[in-house]
Amino acid sequence: MKLLLSIFISSFTLSLMGESSVLNDSCRNCHLPQDNTFHSSAHGPKLLCTDCHNDYGGFPHEKRHFENKRQYSLDKVKTCQRCHYSHYTRALDSVHYVQLKAGNLDAAMCTDCHGHHDIKRPGATRTDITKRCAKCHDDIDKVYRQSIHGSAMANENNQDVPVCTDCHTSHEIKEHNDSSFHINAYKTCGRCHGDQEKMERYGLNTNILTSYLDDFHGASNRIYSQQKQHSEKLIAACYDCHGVHDIKSKKESQTHEEARAKIVQMCKKCHLNATPSFSNAWLSHYPPTLKSAPLVWLVKWFYRIMIPLAIIGLILHILLHIWRASSRGDRLKK
Amino acid sequence: MHGPKIIHDENGKIFIERFSLIRRIEHILIILAFLILAITGMPQKFYETAWLGDLMDLIGGLDRARTIHHLTGILFSIQLMLHLLYIVIGIALKKISLSLLPRMQDWRDLSSSIKYYFGYKKTPPQYDTFDYKQKFEYVSILSAAIIMSISGIVLLAPVFATTFFSGQIVPAARIAHSNEALLAILLILIWHIYGAHFAPETFPMDKTIFTGLINKDDLKAKHPLEYNRLFPEDKKN
Repeated sequence: MKLLLSIFISSFTLSLMGESSVLNDSCRNCHLPQDNTFHSSAHGPKLLCTDCHNDYGGFPHEKRHFENKRQYSLDKVKTCQRCHYSHYTRALDSVHYVQLKAGNLDAAMCTDCHGHHDIKRPGATRTDITKRCAKCHDDIDKVYRQSIHGSAMANENNQDVPVCTDCHTSHEIKEHNDSSFHINAYKTCGRCHGDQEKMERYGLNTNILTSYLDDFHGASNRIYSQQKQHSEKLIAACYDCHGVHDIKSKKESQTHEEARAKIVQMCKKCHLNATPSFSNAWLSHYPPTLKSAPLVWLVKWFYRIMIPLAIIGLILHILLHIWRASSRGDRLKK
Repeated sequence: MHGPKIIHDENGKIFIERFSLIRRIEHILIILAFLILAITGMPQKFYETAWLGDLMDLIGGLDRARTIHHLTGILFSIQLMLHLLYIVIGIALKKISLSLLPRMQDWRDLSSSIKYYFGYKKTPPQYDTFDYKQKFEYVSILSAAIIMSISGIVLLAPVFATTFFSGQIVPAARIAHSNEALLAILLILIWHIYGAHFAPETFPMDKTIFTGLINKDDLKAKHPLEYNRLFPEDKKN
């Protein structure tokens, strides 16, 4: 029975799909007869014009009034939800939807990023993604293109570097000052900078993520990201020191002194009275060595040796005590 | 310097006062501080361990754990300073004997104790007021408290600390604070709990630190040298 039903349904769908071009052709008698944009789009072979323009099924069309094209798009955006339910729902959590709801009609909705009739499979070329965001966020795009990531993408066509959606996500884009975005920044950056293979490919430090998480800032944000309670407290995340869209290579600093001077400036953003001496508390993204941080190295190794030795010694002493007391009779009188 | 109080109770039993009221209160405060600091501190160190993560949620998150930890730590540091001040003033006024300070005799006691464990000696060493195990624990906990307080202050006020020391002091303090804490907790869990509760001669519990008193027989068994000093007439019999 089930089999029969599925055969029936699939043949029905197939027949519809076959019909789609025929039905669409009847729209094209009037609407852009020479234009193949829709046919070559991702929806081309699958949808009828009236799947989206469902209130224009009859002919002649019912007269309707819209302020402008934008009003029509906004009015029709719910159409996408009928098939792309999960993406649509996620987009409702985004900063764009919050803006839209607040009355900013220019805030991005489905068709602004994906296009109308020319919808392509998303992520076909990553470069296109930044172009779509740049339609509104062109000031950020300019800064991004100057950064180590953006310039590698623009100049070398590097496909490993992050584009907008890699950090901001694509549908559920959070507000930039959302605390969960801040707390989880180490995961965002860590997706690439914690990837040994990828970092080795570019000759980059492979200790970035572990050294951050070993430090006070990283450890704190990691606990924040794991705990149930929500925290509004801001403890330095990757981009608080390295910049947001304008991330530069550390090689930008010509000398060691120049680099350390920059670090003091970063510390001062939170630790208002920070001094160069205080900034030396940050050992860069490298584990301490006898040469780079002798005190830290010594303390670390002292405990690495001391803790097991002490505990083994104490346990042996206790075992000997029990052994003597049990096997040979405890000589202490009660 | 005067000897400890000797108390005769109504049943004719004889007790010797080992810890004054202040020392007993100090011990209770240390238990409290230690528990609070360990409960709010360990989830910060081992946040990847699931049950400690749950403990962190139970406390109410990292921010609250840190606030409780800092307040308790400050009170604990004040207690430590008072303790050290007491020792310094006591020495200056010649009012206290440093009976908990390790001496050469303690190393000799350790060696003869191990010989006794292996059967090369018939009797365990004869101890004075405090045996080497108690002295070891006191010195370990005292030094741990000093390390924890100093590194704690560095971590609480890193900008202030680096005006006196190089920047390295901060990550060094972080490693020291977290490892010394682990060492101290293991010392208490293994050594102190065994010595004060599970050792055959003390099981189920040595109450002296809470009552302040030790009975004459226990003193004779555990601290014979002090016993001989306090009751020289018994030695002759």
